[in-house]
Amino acid sequence: MAKINAPSIFYLYDGSKTETFKIKEVGQYLKTIFKRSKIKIRQEFVFYHLSYLSSVEKKNKIDELSQKFALVKIRGVKNKGFYSDFLPGEVEYEKKRILNPENKSYGVVYDGFKLRANLAELIPKSESNLQYSHIIFTNQLFATWDESDKRYHLRVSIYGFPSIISTTGIVEAPAKPRVFYLKQQLGVDRITLKKEFAGRFIDYNDPRLTEVIKGYTLQAIFYQMGENPFCNDKNCRLYNAHWQEEVIQAQLNSPYELCQTHKHLLNELG
Amino acid sequence: MSEKKIFTAVGEKEITRTIVSRFAEQFCEYVENDCIIIGAGPAGLMAGKELAKHNLKVFIIERNNYLGGGFWIGGYLMNKITVREPGQEILHELGVPFEKVSNGLYVTDGPHVCSKLIAATCDAGVKFANMTVFDDVVLREKNRVNGVVINWTPIKALPREITCVDPVALEAKMVIDASGHDACVVKKLEERGLLKTQGFGAMWVEVSEDLVVEHTGEVHPGLIVAGMAVATTYGLPRMGPTFGAMLLSGKKAAEVVLEKLKKK
Repeated sequence: MAKINAPSIFYLYDGSKTETFKIKEVGQYLKTIFKRSKIKIRQEFVFYHLSYLSSVEKKNKIDELSQKFALVKIRGVKNKGFYSDFLPGEVEYEKKRILNPENKSYGVVYDGFKLRANLAELIPKSESNLQYSHIIFTNQLFATWDESDKRYHLRVSIYGFPSIISTTGIVEAPAKPRVFYLKQQLGVDRITLKKEFAGRFIDYNDPRLTEVIKGYTLQAIFYQMGENPFCNDKNCRLYNAHWQEEVIQAQLNSPYELCQTHKHLLNELG
Repeated sequence: MSEKKIFTAVGEKEITRTIVSRFAEQFCEYVENDCIIIGAGPAGLMAGKELAKHNLKVFIIERNNYLGGGFWIGGYLMNKITVREPGQEILHELGVPFEKVSNGLYVTDGPHVCSKLIAATCDAGVKFANMTVFDDVVLREKNRVNGVVINWTPIKALPREITCVDPVALEAKMVIDASGHDACVVKKLEERGLLKTQGFGAMWVEVSEDLVVEHTGEVHPGLIVAGMAVATTYGLPRMGPTFGAMLLSGKKAAEVVLEKLKKK
């Protein structure tokens, strides 16, 4: 089996704004696997990269980015189209988010691929090669269009350069147990449902969040290394979970970290 | 010996004259306003209360007979109102008893909090036109919103051939659309091609309260959007039955109006 090369430096961007997400722990975890790579933790991605621009460049870039972000908002679950214009309030909202990286609001859903393309522009040329891995942790929500059922689906992560992992996506994207939704449709309120199904899904401010995100970070890295980021083994951290219970099994309850194939791949790192 | 009556003898005609004259007097006065608010739900009431506290002349248009919108009841017709922190600060301001359920979540009685908010809005000096529907916008130079066109609610409920009654117009320096999911003022501007709402909003995501407050503001010159109308306008995800965002959005709408009027 050919050796795969890990990036020399992993940049982890701390934009989750979630107390239970400990980015340092994710960094330490990666260090145990990618011993020869450096792990560097940076501030929120946009804020970090804008900080290297002059004040005029920064202002212009913020104006440009806030419009671009407003334009990649999803307009309908079954609507693949995008508007060519926006309301001033949408741009103002994006601007406030950029200028204040501590702003915790979320709920706007973006097209994941278009969002990533907008973010990729900020990576300087000197860091734009596969020796570097840029992994953005965010509380933003994004979805991707699925041609098979002609609708958008919320996602936890978009892998590429950079990769984006959503700490709110992990709560909202994988489906909760079917009965949860049935009861919700019958009018049972969310607080009651959360108590009834406690532990069976990852919730906001869930203490298990960091542990779960470690697996998604590994998936992002496998993708960058040119390997399939997803595994068919339900107990492997690279398992592509669609249900919360699968997330919990693969990331928390599994008897092992990685399946034999992926474990072997990591042992053979160049 | 004649029996002593509890109430003073007043003739029907005098009662009718009082109703008509006082209504007409108030209506004439409120043909011209600092701010007109469409919708007397929690966001509209809150905005009105805050503006009137600053001595602004505020008129709220409500299509129903009752004020309060959906604030009387919580989810699924159950009359418990929940707010997330910091929404409880407004419950405190209103003097309504409330209870902390869990970290950041508070509950109060719908009838109590809704009636208190209505009373506080009235106490602040806001006047109302209930059983009145928004029909259209008044536009001035550069299509700035400068008022609203209204009609009686029953007119809308009857067939057009029976009720071909023209509406009337009221003027205002600023208009707030607090009409809930309908966002009727915003939609009217959209009908006229003056703005485009952003669709979406149906996908369930747990929390969009912050988003509603953060997007509250001027959506078109002269028009502020508040409450659930914000979600419709900007295509924000729908929320669960908690009302903190409605109250805070109303408060923010008032702040925006005050700021705009100061600049004018």
